Amino acid sequence: MHLTRDEESVLAGEEGGGRQKAMELLVALGDIFGAERLIPVKSAQVSGASFKTIGDAGIRWLEGMSEGTRASVPSMVNPLGLDIRRWRSMGISDEFHGKQARIVAAYMSMGLRPVYSCTPYLAGYRPRRGQHLAWAESSATVFANSYIGARTNREGGPSALASAIIGKSPEYGLHLDENRFPKVEVNLPSIPEGLVPLAGYLAGKAAGNRIPLITGQALAEDEHKSFGAAVAATGAVSMYVSDRTAGHRKASDIDRSMIEERVTISSHELKRCAEELSGGDEWDLVAIGCPHSSTRELAHMAKRLKNRRPKKDCDVWFCTSRRVHSSCPQHVATLRRFGNVLCDTCMVVAPIEEMYERTATNSGKAMVYLPTLGKQKASFRTTDQLMEAISR
Amino acid sequence: MSFLGGVDTSNGVVLDPESPLIGESVRGRILAFPFGIGSTVGSYAMYQLKLNKVAPRAIINQSAEPIVATGAIMSEIPMVDNIDISLIATGDRVAVNAADGTVELRDVTERHVVTSILRNRGRILILKRSDKVGSYRGSWAGVSGFVEKAETYEEAARREIVEETGLGKVRFSKMIPSRSFRDDDSVWTIHPFLFDVSSREVDIDWEHDAYAWIVPDELEEYPSVPGLHAVIKNLLEPTNL
Repeated sequence: MHLTRDEESVLAGEEGGGRQKAMELLVALGDIFGAERLIPVKSAQVSGASFKTIGDAGIRWLEGMSEGTRASVPSMVNPLGLDIRRWRSMGISDEFHGKQARIVAAYMSMGLRPVYSCTPYLAGYRPRRGQHLAWAESSATVFANSYIGARTNREGGPSALASAIIGKSPEYGLHLDENRFPKVEVNLPSIPEGLVPLAGYLAGKAAGNRIPLITGQALAEDEHKSFGAAVAATGAVSMYVSDRTAGHRKASDIDRSMIEERVTISSHELKRCAEELSGGDEWDLVAIGCPHSSTRELAHMAKRLKNRRPKKDCDVWFCTSRRVHSSCPQHVATLRRFGNVLCDTCMVVAPIEEMYERTATNSGKAMVYLPTLGKQKASFRTTDQLMEAISR
Repeated sequence: MSFLGGVDTSNGVVLDPESPLIGESVRGRILAFPFGIGSTVGSYAMYQLKLNKVAPRAIINQSAEPIVATGAIMSEIPMVDNIDISLIATGDRVAVNAADGTVELRDVTERHVVTSILRNRGRILILKRSDKVGSYRGSWAGVSGFVEKAETYEEAARREIVEETGLGKVRFSKMIPSRSFRDDDSVWTIHPFLFDVSSREVDIDWEHDAYAWIVPDELEEYPSVPGLHAVIKNLLEPTNL
């Protein structure tokens, strides 16, 4: 990889050990992927923030890196293992909280923004079309690439932190035009109510490591959020192309020359998938907000619940970003009657295995991670089914 | 190899039942494996090995990928990639120079050998190794022999052809990249050649006790030295220009 004189001097350690290590990471990854140079990024988004996922090794690494380094571009952080303000009401132990606090302190001392969310684009950091980013959260990466038209690879936690510190990323993969063409067409002629997340779940499986072209559906922004999160969870891909994303492109602008396969996912298959993922009917926890709920989604649920009473036969988490939370206090007040409205965290990275065994969710992505990372018996339900289940 | 779940971070012992290294400890040793797989959290597992003082001394990869490369940098473990790890065996004494990207096998000797396929009107010559040779007795092979000091590979190939077949008039057709394989404490590096000859009259010496001019498809009927099929296939492939 070609480095500028300034980059060479960072690599030689002339600006300290932390910046040197960050540069070593970017150069090593650039060499692996055949990048020719580093390019500036507008923002970074760092994963590896919950003590549950990175453990004691992660704390030590972040504390070491934080000595003498600062983020040089706006940089956000993925969800933590707890809500910073309401962790006791979640049932989090003092020990876990203490470990989590050290991680937060390390990120704060490096100047990362206290935005602990998988939806930084709803929390004040919305990129623009064409901008280069170094984002790590898979659902945010796929949203930025596919719906916004920004450009980012799916970074690992350490490489995203390195980009936050250096302000650059190696130019390879989805930063380059030639790697942003769809290779498989996934046609979705009709999606039953509430099953958009499962359309993503199946589309990701069909795509594998190929960028899919999604046809047949004009999804709303929130639907892109939940669809893309599931695509990135079941597929090894951080982008899809949609032929009907309003304002972004005309169908005739899409280059189909590299399409090598076409598949159709029928409404029948989506219903069957919902059945297969339905699990049991009794739950310890209903977990909503993977990815973090938008204001519109909180409003929709508040409306559904408004004239009903809580059933209280299981715990309920509505997970969102702090920014969205503070944007709609009335909806939050309504939802709070039915459960916990949590910020900074979610059911995927919180230590839910220490508190629950059976969890229901409306998220295709969470259906991938709840059984593995969360050791849960997981049940998929649509949002409206869950609102029905938690109220009377 | 996956470091997340594949290695016990408390003692460095390989846990993965799929790994040929299961039960071995990576602690303080040079760890060679093809490439890393699994979750990106694997980088942190490597760092945990380092904190617990049970990390490998160095890492050798066939091809580097982001998880292991990231973990190696976080943990300050020297790492070299683009190495043919099939040439390295568990228990070898290995020297790694991560600055140069080189690996040295201290107790292993590399032996350079030429092997030539002679071709005449669509048939190729194979020879059956006699009981008097040092290796692969009774196996069928091309015209093969050690490269001597101060000799180019082509000179060695031509010398062996004269010695083993008596054919003096040969026309060079093709040389393909060498290939290496490990056998005990040797690495054999084979340099394959293809020559055209105008005669099928062969005068074999003590190293062989039979020969045959065959069409390439018949090769499967002859028990042959390791790698001969692949060498012949590659030599006879049309060259892409």
